[in-house]
Amino acid sequence: MPFIEEILKYDSLSIVGLEKNVGKTECLNYILYRLPLHEKRVAVTSIGIDGENKDQVTSTKKPEIFLREGMYFSTAEAHYKERRLVSELVEITNERSSLGRILTAKVSVGGKALISGPSSGVSLRRWVAGMEKFGIDLTIIDGAISRLSSASPAISKAMVLSTGAAFSSNINTLVQKTKFVVEMIGLEKLQDGSRDALCDIESGVWGVDFDGNIIDFKITSALAISSLKEDITKGMKIIFTVGALTDKLLNLIADSKNIKEVTLVVKDFTKIFVSEQAYRIFCARGGKIKVLQKSKLVAVCVNPTAPNGYVLDSDILCEKLQDALGLPVYDIVKNKYDI
Amino acid sequence: MYDTLDIMSPCGRKMLLQSTMMTTKRELDFHYRRLNEIYDKDCAKIAHKLMCIKDIQTTLDRLASGATLDDIELFEVKYLAIVSGEVLQLLQEQKIIAVGLPHLEKVVEILDPDKSNIPSFYVYDSYSDELRMVRKQMRDLQGNGEELPDDKRMELAALLQRNADLELEIRERLSGELKEFADDLSLALRNLSVLDILIAKAAQMKKLGLCFPVIVEDGETFYNGMFNPAVKEMLGAQGREYMPVDICFEREPVTIIGANMGGKSVVLKCLALNQLLAQFGFGVAAHDCCVNLVEEVILCIGDEQSIVKGVSSFAGEILAINEVVKKMRDGKCILALVDEPARTTNPVEGTALVEGLLEVIGTAKGGFVLTTHYNILNDKVKRYRVRGLRDGAMDYTLEVTHCGDVPHEAVAIAESLGIDPQWIELTKKNLNN
Repeated sequence: MPFIEEILKYDSLSIVGLEKNVGKTECLNYILYRLPLHEKRVAVTSIGIDGENKDQVTSTKKPEIFLREGMYFSTAEAHYKERRLVSELVEITNERSSLGRILTAKVSVGGKALISGPSSGVSLRRWVAGMEKFGIDLTIIDGAISRLSSASPAISKAMVLSTGAAFSSNINTLVQKTKFVVEMIGLEKLQDGSRDALCDIESGVWGVDFDGNIIDFKITSALAISSLKEDITKGMKIIFTVGALTDKLLNLIADSKNIKEVTLVVKDFTKIFVSEQAYRIFCARGGKIKVLQKSKLVAVCVNPTAPNGYVLDSDILCEKLQDALGLPVYDIVKNKYDI
Repeated sequence: MYDTLDIMSPCGRKMLLQSTMMTTKRELDFHYRRLNEIYDKDCAKIAHKLMCIKDIQTTLDRLASGATLDDIELFEVKYLAIVSGEVLQLLQEQKIIAVGLPHLEKVVEILDPDKSNIPSFYVYDSYSDELRMVRKQMRDLQGNGEELPDDKRMELAALLQRNADLELEIRERLSGELKEFADDLSLALRNLSVLDILIAKAAQMKKLGLCFPVIVEDGETFYNGMFNPAVKEMLGAQGREYMPVDICFEREPVTIIGANMGGKSVVLKCLALNQLLAQFGFGVAAHDCCVNLVEEVILCIGDEQSIVKGVSSFAGEILAINEVVKKMRDGKCILALVDEPARTTNPVEGTALVEGLLEVIGTAKGGFVLTTHYNILNDKVKRYRVRGLRDGAMDYTLEVTHCGDVPHEAVAIAESLGIDPQWIELTKKNLNN
């Protein structure tokens, strides 16, 4: 049973896809089907609409989410009414979405349902915390298309990444692009005395000098970096940006004389919005990026079929990805791995 | 004041925002008796329960009209009945009689056939043997969600349909049985909201040091140790102390004179705020007080100038005051509070206008308080004067005075504000001439 054992070591999991139609929902169903419910209480939700019969954008068939007896799930009022299973309503939460209030229910006869839960990072975090009162051991979040934010370690500790032909139909490009994302997820965690203090900071760009003093550069985000006149890397061992890390800041540090002495730090990989090219130049000049919090990437799943009908060779794809990533890669649809 | 009120439930908040000003002694006495009872009790546990209350009036209206409720609505009803029952028990433990709640055990019974007494709901198997059987078949057929062959899928679809039909039948039956409790449920929701507001008001009184007012009709209004909660809090944050004031008035108009920055406008704002707090049944910002009921509170303060409407500061103000005069002459009971009327015109005519205003108001019902810098000679008014600068510090105390002479402290105050020394010097020279 690939990677299920691994998932059970964590109390929260998010499943994210690098593109629409990369088999994320199948991956979710695969996991839900195999979880040992007699050992663990599981709660499932999803960012925005998910579990619809047809893909809202490309009108291709999408697998539905099958919920087993005993599972908890949270979905919007409108979708709750359309469920094709028997469930016991246990809570009307204070969260709202465009489809009504978010409800939580416990499945009493398994079946299929539409799942669309809270949509912002903050409300997801509240949802995860709120599940505690039902004695939930594992919370699973089905992430949104090309949005990695739900995989932020601030929300869930482990993640499964879905990629596939929909992301790119050229195997080499697909491998390369996926590899870059996996590399970002795998960035090393900062080991420094200033780490705890940095975790408490909520906005702006900050520095830590060689004596361990934390300095506020007094700019609201890395986007405003061009307003600085002096070289911020001078005398610093760490440059920390709370918000998004963009090419601009990365290039600024890459161009500085002190690049080899300074470490660039971000909250977690979901805050990194840099192009691969800029990152490679940065690294080639001796730059380092580290994170304050790290997610555990449990597995990578692939879907070799693109919505336009293009099909990649599953075996070659898995093999190439596996070589490049150094991680197990699964084509769940083709290989109906044993239970 | 609304912002400092910790109301727990959305329906409590809605009820408060929809409430109207109370204008009879009977209503207010009843309200304050209830508030007084809550004030003396520890209601932390009840407040915690009220946090869970949702506004389900629409659902209850549907129930009363005979509609069939869906799962979610039945859940809401059951939830309300359970929480209401828990609050009722807490009220009985604390011996609180200010708010009564109907007994809803029967509602819980109908919606909890398994007697689990937890706030969750679905159409339970125990409602019907056939339902139980259909669900068992579904479970057996479905397993853990493996792909099913076509014939099995059809069979499952049929079972799912049968399940839905049975659920609908049961929900129809339950809605019918619950219909007779719709009024009780609405009453429970309403009284829980009332309770929520009372608890929040009592907590606010303790937090801000507010008092219970004595309510009178056509009598005297007095405040001992009156203060403005917002200003007091702001000063407190700066480590400074608020100086409360005493004031008392009846039918005759009141004028307040005194130095600039002597807190005259603050007094007017406090009077307006406290009158409203009292008539909306809140604690009042004073050490102790007696409040005469009015039908309306009008506060004329600030600059009414509007370039768009083509109204100057003077015109805007005079028109606003004219409204007060009209209403008072029509016999409406009003508390009118006017800040420096006719201040934007020449002192000669300004004084005459204020004198005229005081005469025309006379001893109308309600109350009339104005602040002014003019020397008012009318002897049918009650005069207060801000004690003013004492050893360089402002003494905000209001004292009754019999002469209309206004204090001459403007230059000294301007000087303490640090304005240009040459300006001050030349001003003093002019005064001496």
